Amino acid sequence: MDSKGRLIGMTESFLFVAGEEGLTLAQLAALLECDEQQAQQVLMSLQTAYDADDTRGITLKIYGGSYRLVTKSEWADAIKRMLEDPKPVTFTQAALEVLAIIAYKQPVTRIEVDDLRGVKSERALSSLAGKGFVEEVGRMEGPGRPILYGTTAFFLDRFGLKSLEDMPPLSLDEEQEVSGDTDLFMTKFQEAFSITEE
Amino acid sequence: MSYSVKLEAFEGPLDLLLHLINRLEIDIYDIPMAELTQQYIEHLYAMRVLQLDELSEYLVLAATLLEVKSKMLLPVNEEETLIDDFDYEEDPREELISKLIEYRKYKEAANSLRESAAHRDEHFTKEPEDLLEYGEPLVTETEDQLNVFDLIGAFQKMLHRKKLKLPLTASITKSEQSVGDKMSSIMSKLELCGGECEFHALFDTSTVPELVLTFLSLLELMKLQEVKVRQSNSFEELLISLT
Repeated sequence: MDSKGRLIGMTESFLFVAGEEGLTLAQLAALLECDEQQAQQVLMSLQTAYDADDTRGITLKIYGGSYRLVTKSEWADAIKRMLEDPKPVTFTQAALEVLAIIAYKQPVTRIEVDDLRGVKSERALSSLAGKGFVEEVGRMEGPGRPILYGTTAFFLDRFGLKSLEDMPPLSLDEEQEVSGDTDLFMTKFQEAFSITEE
Repeated sequence: MSYSVKLEAFEGPLDLLLHLINRLEIDIYDIPMAELTQQYIEHLYAMRVLQLDELSEYLVLAATLLEVKSKMLLPVNEEETLIDDFDYEEDPREELISKLIEYRKYKEAANSLRESAAHRDEHFTKEPEDLLEYGEPLVTETEDQLNVFDLIGAFQKMLHRKKLKLPLTASITKSEQSVGDKMSSIMSKLELCGGECEFHALFDTSTVPELVLTFLSLLELMKLQEVKVRQSNSFEELLISLT
């Protein structure tokens, strides 16, 4: 076997053992006893091989700076058949809004988040911190030295992002349709309380 | 009896305002303040019954709307504007508009985050291999500074793995035994004991459904007069015997 093939095989076995923890480029390079650039090439070859081969069930992904083997999305439905009662983890709208603000504006204080949303975000914020999506990254210099929040590597993993730069750019100011859920709510609500509008 | 329901209506006053702007098909850069303010206050009035915790925040925005509306009614001092070209008379709505647009950006970002999470959910992974049984794993990289959040993270991971360790399928099966089965097993037990045994001896199982089942079977056997139950004295052991 050529040396590159050997490295690819080794990388696959390391990633298999590492599981969901994954391995960073630095860790892999150390394990492969090569430099990071070489390790990067090996990873690329491995990923290309997985993605080119439809008979493979797994592929290579990078989330939050660590490489890991994951099942391909094509088989997600099939895997869910293994579950008795598949339940997608849901986030509340409030939690997602707070998370989005922190992700794009970090480091940011709670007051800034509150201001942006026009409503208190304390509860959503502490729940996000408790779940490990956001963390205290420091204190702002100024009166009261408020806590500055930022997102964690777990956030990147959970939302399938390579890094913070991988987040989609914030949309510019063009017109956007907002989902019809609230419309439905308001219609129902008005029916129920017979509110008339002009 | 009061019954309270938490409705996920609006994520706050800005959300409500955005909803109104969308529904009334208003240009966000050219808001008709009178109409919007009226609609907003009407909604607020209607939402009174919801007893929102954040009502005060909704009221603050109502006040802001009224303030902007009244400012727009004030005549602009034309002369001053002409003289002082640089000091361009600001549209009183400007601050509100920029706030709304800023909020809308993050509201959309929140939706795209929801989608990313859903995509990520399509990729399954497995927990790391437990190499401890082969020896101490080599630590290749150590975090210099661990803080309370690393602790929380570790705890969350542990909880998550505990959850994963649970069997994938746990089906609840009803006890296969019926009263009929239990009745015949009691009868054979009595025969084995020489036609008579103590009440306690029949209850050799510990699960509640089986205890109940045994008791029911015993009652059934008594009704059918297959067995007799005797007691020599109060609080003495019950004796079950074949008839």
